[in-house]
Amino acid sequence: MSGPEIAGGPEVAGGPETQDGVLNETMTRVLVADDHPMWREAVARDLSDAGFDVVGTASDGPGAVRRTLALRPDVLVLDLNLPGMSGAQVCAAVVQAQISTKVLILSASAELQDVLEAVKVGATGYLIKSAGREEFLDAVRATARGSAVFTPGLAGLVLGEFRRLAAESGVKGRREVPELTARETEVLKLVATGMSYRQIGEHLFISHRTVQNHVQNTLNKLHLHNRVELVRFAIAKGLDIPG
Amino acid sequence: MRSSGQERQATAQAEPDAEPDARTEPDPQTEPDPQTEPTVVAALWRGLEVFRPLAWLYALYSASARHQDMARPWLAWCVLGLLGAWTVGVGLYRGHRLTRTTAVIGVELALACGAILSTRLVDTPQVILGGARTLPGLWPAAAVVAWAVLKGWRAGMLAAFLVGVADVLEVGVAAQGPPNSSTVNNIVILVLLGGCIGYCADLSREGHAALREALRVQARVRERDRLARTVHDGVLQTLSYIHRRAIDLGGEARELGSMAAEQERLLRALVSTVSDAPGPGGPALAAGGRAGVDLRSVLSRCADGAVHVIPPAGPVLVASGVAEELAAAVGAALDNVRRHAGADAQAWVLIEDTGRDVTVTIRDDGVGVPAGRLAEAAVSGRLGVVNSIVGRMSDLGGTATLDSSPGAGTCLELTVSKGWPPSWTDQHP
Repeated sequence: MSGPEIAGGPEVAGGPETQDGVLNETMTRVLVADDHPMWREAVARDLSDAGFDVVGTASDGPGAVRRTLALRPDVLVLDLNLPGMSGAQVCAAVVQAQISTKVLILSASAELQDVLEAVKVGATGYLIKSAGREEFLDAVRATARGSAVFTPGLAGLVLGEFRRLAAESGVKGRREVPELTARETEVLKLVATGMSYRQIGEHLFISHRTVQNHVQNTLNKLHLHNRVELVRFAIAKGLDIPG
Repeated sequence: MRSSGQERQATAQAEPDAEPDARTEPDPQTEPDPQTEPTVVAALWRGLEVFRPLAWLYALYSASARHQDMARPWLAWCVLGLLGAWTVGVGLYRGHRLTRTTAVIGVELALACGAILSTRLVDTPQVILGGARTLPGLWPAAAVVAWAVLKGWRAGMLAAFLVGVADVLEVGVAAQGPPNSSTVNNIVILVLLGGCIGYCADLSREGHAALREALRVQARVRERDRLARTVHDGVLQTLSYIHRRAIDLGGEARELGSMAAEQERLLRALVSTVSDAPGPGGPALAAGGRAGVDLRSVLSRCADGAVHVIPPAGPVLVASGVAEELAAAVGAALDNVRRHAGADAQAWVLIEDTGRDVTVTIRDDGVGVPAGRLAEAAVSGRLGVVNSIVGRMSDLGGTATLDSSPGAGTCLELTVSKGWPPSWTDQHP
């Protein structure tokens, strides 16, 4: 963890005031994976109190994967420091199973590199554990809707990854890498420096929904690139791709 | 909470002993283990195993060439037969730990000396004084090399000295006078051989031991890092948990909660700086001060409750001077935010690595500056802080741009090359 502070409110397009959000809330099924019993229980209690259906908990990596595949929750709230498997491995296993479960990372001290790995293989949000309760609940709601939960810290990581890919392709003259459009870069930079979607929308004279789309696109490009890389690697090694 | 604590403690107690090598480590006092001998020493042993039979064959050839001149040829065949049996025996066990013990190479040295002395009985004094070779020829050198390889340069030279004494006795007693120059010459060469090979073996053992020690220390440090991460994770969790509960409880607990939150932030900053700093001998050190500072560690010191530093996942290595200037510029900008942006203003410091350049964006959500006021301030010379930042950046060959509007805070973007600017390299070697 190099960022001393990955803070600031997660951006939640639509927000809890959206009619669908409220209607779906009682049906949202959540699985909590954390090796610290106190956190696991506190998080599960907060979720139940807020009307979510906590379908189960897990205290290690393999357990988290097993239960996610068996229970198929809408959202998996995942601590990155689980015994048995790395957070990225858990994410990858869940994404590979091609179920509808979305992964929200909730971690106390994860290395930024680990967070980035997990986001690249398919997690759709990252929140630090010191985030407030409402902030956390909003993030779970957003994740359940399929929206990316972008803190400034996560935006900085994603932006940094695209910069790295661009620099790498420039140096090696390598095969195509995904690029952000100028607008996407601009939006991501503004998210990374603490602006809300609404503020960005006003600043750029676009709707905050458009801002949300831009942000979502950057994450999709990263996921797609990761998948393409995996396939390329597998072909090079002569492996079969599941799915 | 309690059960979690106990689990952690149990892990912490179980792990530090988990050094797989520690128990199989050979005791330095005992004979060196052939399995863990350095490559150079192993090569010397293998060379010796080849040399010994060749030297014996040469001794056999020399003896057969002059057996007509011998006083007691049968004794020569007996002695050579004994040496041959020894050579074959040691050859059969080659590479075995047994052939590399003091006892075995002691017997070998005794055989060598005995064979040299037996030349006195085999040859007539005239032949010996005529400069004939000793019966074992080069074979005794094997014993000298064995002592040098097993016990180092002192033992090598001592063994050579003993062989030399046997030589002198063999020649000297027959001649009733000082040994001739070729004998002395051979003895000096043998002593030097023992010393040199012994020194070589000593050096490679020392290097090997140092390497093993370094690897052991590295493994221990890595293990400690891993434990520290687990402990930090636990402490950070606990602090955030206290913060969270304190908010629920309200009242005086809130104060405790904010203390916990502050400590959590400090610990997080500390852990991140420590774990990001490249270890000794890392790439940063190798590159010298020129391109070796991780800007993330430098700027993360600016973070506090109202300032969020947003770094990329990988290190952002810049020249140390560039890091200092950027840190000073960011510090000045944040001071400005604290003074002018309002009490509740927060600031974000985004670090971007764009390949050759690095960009640092400082944005606050404070009151901002009304349009036109900036230009007005510039004209009246009241843009002190901003001017100093712009000055610092242009000294480095970089740029600084300021953007502000009322109610939307202020955004300052600094872009600079990661290496030393060419004009600086002359002045700051």
